[in-house]
Amino acid sequence: MSKTKTSAEAAISSAPTDEASIREIIDKCKRETRIEYHYGDGFFKPRMRGINHLELGRSKIISSPITILIEWLYVQWKRVRDFFGDLGKRLFPREGRVWCDRVDSHLAGQTIFAGDRGDGAPIHHLHLEFWGRTWLGHWRKFGETKTDKEGYFRLPFDLRQARRLWVRRVYFEIQTTTRVYFHEGKPRFHFDVWRRVELPKGDLIGMDYNLRTIRLDFWRYREGAYTPRAKVNASGDEPEHYSQGRIDALMEQVIPIELTKIKHLDQIELDPGSLTIPEIQADYPMNLTTCIEKHLPGYTRGDEWFGERMMNGMNRGTFQPDAKKKGHYWIHYFGRCWYESNDVYALPDVDILFKLKKNGLPEPVEIHLTGKLNSHEHDPWKKRVYTPKDEPDWTYAKRVARVNGAFNTEVEEHFAGTHLNSEQFAVACYRNLKLNPVAALLMPHLKEVSLIDHAADKTLIGGYIAAATALTKEGLEQRTRDIMGMQDWKGWKPMTPISKAHSCAKAEALFWDVVGGYVDRFVEDWKDEIQKHWFEIYCFSEDLVNHAVPVAFTAPQDAPPKGAKWKALADRRFEYYCQQYSFDPTLERPVVNGERKAISRITAAKSFHEAGKEDWQNLKDACRYAIMMATYMHTWINEHQYDDLGEILYSCGGLRYGEKPEGIMAPESDYGIAPDLERSTQMLWFTNLLSRTEYGFITRNEEGDVNPHFAELLEAKREEFKSLGVDIDAIESRTNI
Amino acid sequence: MSSATHITLSQIERYWIHRFGDKLLLWVYAKLFAVMLALFLCFPKQQRMSHNNGIGAAGKLRIVDHPEFPAHPFFAPGREFPVRIRHASATFLDDAMNCIRSMSIKLSDHHFKSPFDIEMNSGEVSLFWSAASFLKFARLRGEKYGIEYRDYNRKYPNGLAGSMAAGRRHATSFHNLHYYCKTPFLYMGSDNIKRYAKYRVIPADNEPESGKEENPSEWDQCNQRILPHETRGRNYLKYEYEDRIRREGARYRLQIQTHPASDNEDPEVFNNMIVWDEDAHPWQDLGIITIDRTLDWKESTLTTFSVNNMPKTLGVLPAKSIFDYNSLNYLRAHSELARKARMLSYKVYGMVPPIPDNDNRNVSDWGV
Repeated sequence: MSKTKTSAEAAISSAPTDEASIREIIDKCKRETRIEYHYGDGFFKPRMRGINHLELGRSKIISSPITILIEWLYVQWKRVRDFFGDLGKRLFPREGRVWCDRVDSHLAGQTIFAGDRGDGAPIHHLHLEFWGRTWLGHWRKFGETKTDKEGYFRLPFDLRQARRLWVRRVYFEIQTTTRVYFHEGKPRFHFDVWRRVELPKGDLIGMDYNLRTIRLDFWRYREGAYTPRAKVNASGDEPEHYSQGRIDALMEQVIPIELTKIKHLDQIELDPGSLTIPEIQADYPMNLTTCIEKHLPGYTRGDEWFGERMMNGMNRGTFQPDAKKKGHYWIHYFGRCWYESNDVYALPDVDILFKLKKNGLPEPVEIHLTGKLNSHEHDPWKKRVYTPKDEPDWTYAKRVARVNGAFNTEVEEHFAGTHLNSEQFAVACYRNLKLNPVAALLMPHLKEVSLIDHAADKTLIGGYIAAATALTKEGLEQRTRDIMGMQDWKGWKPMTPISKAHSCAKAEALFWDVVGGYVDRFVEDWKDEIQKHWFEIYCFSEDLVNHAVPVAFTAPQDAPPKGAKWKALADRRFEYYCQQYSFDPTLERPVVNGERKAISRITAAKSFHEAGKEDWQNLKDACRYAIMMATYMHTWINEHQYDDLGEILYSCGGLRYGEKPEGIMAPESDYGIAPDLERSTQMLWFTNLLSRTEYGFITRNEEGDVNPHFAELLEAKREEFKSLGVDIDAIESRTNI
Repeated sequence: MSSATHITLSQIERYWIHRFGDKLLLWVYAKLFAVMLALFLCFPKQQRMSHNNGIGAAGKLRIVDHPEFPAHPFFAPGREFPVRIRHASATFLDDAMNCIRSMSIKLSDHHFKSPFDIEMNSGEVSLFWSAASFLKFARLRGEKYGIEYRDYNRKYPNGLAGSMAAGRRHATSFHNLHYYCKTPFLYMGSDNIKRYAKYRVIPADNEPESGKEENPSEWDQCNQRILPHETRGRNYLKYEYEDRIRREGARYRLQIQTHPASDNEDPEVFNNMIVWDEDAHPWQDLGIITIDRTLDWKESTLTTFSVNNMPKTLGVLPAKSIFDYNSLNYLRAHSELARKARMLSYKVYGMVPPIPDNDNRNVSDWGV
């Protein structure tokens, strides 16, 4: 062996070993790896049209100078068009005055949700307006009303006003609340026209004019979806729209990494041998683990870091006390189970036994891997136990555990637990809350989640994860459905800290308290209006319950395969998930069409005076839960993705079996088990995209839609959060990436 | 000059412009409508506007001896008039279909001249309520396959309600139906107090009304076709009426409702879709109509009714626009040309034949 030390060896020998110095390096790396993009603003810089143009492969980037020029001209044309549009609005404002001397006629009808099999439910409390436009372009409002509880409406108007000779055209408009913003502490609702129907003026002859049953594609549930989802059309823009600020922020931040990904994909296509995993890694911004490795080589592969990240990293593991050994805890990451899977990627069950150290951080003492570890094995129940004495297998087992943990966290906690969970609240909220102030409480936190979930269907569940992990798209959908079967607002509480070092759980509890205070105050402040429009709460609750998935594994189509071992696995998963998702299996739950639903009913009463004693508190708890999931719980995982999933060889979505007999129990230098080059660049692109392209924070309140009181409550806890490693300025107000 | 005065002047100007424009438009519509009827329906096809399928009869009307309605010299107690009536079904030439039935009354035994005519249909409310709605109704009305009002009813729920109220299927007799003139007329009585009046006719012996359909669906109401395996003929109601008159005659009770006029009258008073509250406006007997003979087909066809045949103090109320509820009677009053064109057609082409008893059902033409 050469006497000259390599740079790595030199770094190892000079690396500090005391806890304070190590902590200082970690903190320094956390600061350094907070990426801020400085994307130039040159005329011919590549551009992107919108979030819906993001692709797992090559996103639609405009880079050719000619195309950029044409696109610029198109944008200028749009600006001119918008200018004249705005000018028209200023010249001919739509004033609030109602032109009516005597009501003698009505527009009548009913609004219902469109359904692909017959009629949907009635749409209550939609705001309707009847407008006319004169030959000179002036707008005249002839009347307005709202649909009743059954969706029926009779909009009153003055026939003579509508039939004046100088009124050229008349329009019936269906408007809906699209945005909520706060002004002087009070919520304001912004209405947008959902549908405008031009009526034949000559058809207005007095009495009632029947517009009949109007079927609206209004926040429609997507038929055939595994979980309650909004139906989004092919362009991906309905039923809501991203705010311009959100689009701009994403475009600004995503293009540099998109260019990197495209460069890699081109290189892989033309000459795959010219690219390696380290080169891919080097092209992306440095993440936390690569940074630490630079200063403390080998540290991130050690037991100390493993335990810390399992407790307070992206995975935020659920520690289940060991029944026999005091101070010992288990974390379980379930593998492929019975879901449809491929034979390329490994995904064994992982059970990790930890011992709490004096400083409160967990130290791994055993790792149990159950299932196939190489392509030659076929026994899904084969179990191996590794301890720190079993080096180098111990190091390999930790990598397997990290990878499985990342998969579980991404698919279950992140996508199902926050994205899909928030979406079920979002759809029910937008469909039902129109006059009730609870709309102002929830909408700012639930907006845009349906759109990003729609994008995730294509790029994540149907794209990257299905191609880079063991489960197929079908398997992933069934798995997320099962996890949704463990999500309920009733009885939910944050993770209980198991030690003084469990900062993740402490911060979660702290935020839960803040949300609780905010919701309590809001609900009490708007008590009268909320109770007055209790019918909307009833409909909100009914939609939530009726469209909710059944409790995990209880419906025939969700049941595990027959056999004692599968049943035992299902029982074990159910029991663990109960703790992980704070799901109380003993609660009485609503049964709809024979299915025991996961979500509890908020109220069964259509009016507040008929409501049960618990209903008021139920409403508070449900709102608190929805906000918690859409904000903090989502932020936690999203924020830490690049930290824990930003180094290909450290962790990834799935390890390949490879060709060797040892399979995944191999060193990081064996690229045969690491993700292939395409999956590697896509992984870093994804984790960058998800962690770093954020917009919409509670304290920054970019769009003025977050209740200032919420931000004030959070601000009051800034130092407490900081001491737990949480920057309150980085907590998202909504799930939109 | 103050701004208030400006506003007042502007309002007055607008009022007169609107008033003049509306009146002009109403007149043009009414005249055009009559011309179109005359040119395209009444003369070439020798048809009435709608009620072609009918039977005439004659008798007398005796005003009640002790009237409870406001006194009027025309309706002096105990006064008797010769009377002609005509029962008809609109619009199809098939009595077994679900049709609106009518009764028109003429206080003379002449086929046109009369001091007082009144036209009434079954049902308390109408299918249309103004000239504008009537023209829309006429435009959307279909006659094919016995489905007449579907397009209209889908757009206008009040029209649907009107056809539900007025449609009669399988009536046992024209005699036991209730007939209403829904748009009010002027009633300037002996006391010179201005009132509005509505009239109706019910059977004098309070025979239960027949032919009403219970809770029909929207589609049932639009489908006026004869029922499957129908055994009633195209003329069964007319034959029944002939038999009844020959056998026992027919007696009707002519009744009146009055409403005192006020300066700021709510226009809805004139709305024929709104039934006057019977507690405030009770039906009072005006007279008894006794029918003792039916008219033959020719005389029935020649017998024609007009709202213009009324004393001035009982006439048509003025209308301001095509949307005015009174414009319906205005339109009727201006359709004389159409009637004359039909009469002329009889002279030119000869009388139309009676409706044949054949299996050509659900039609609005004679068929063979």
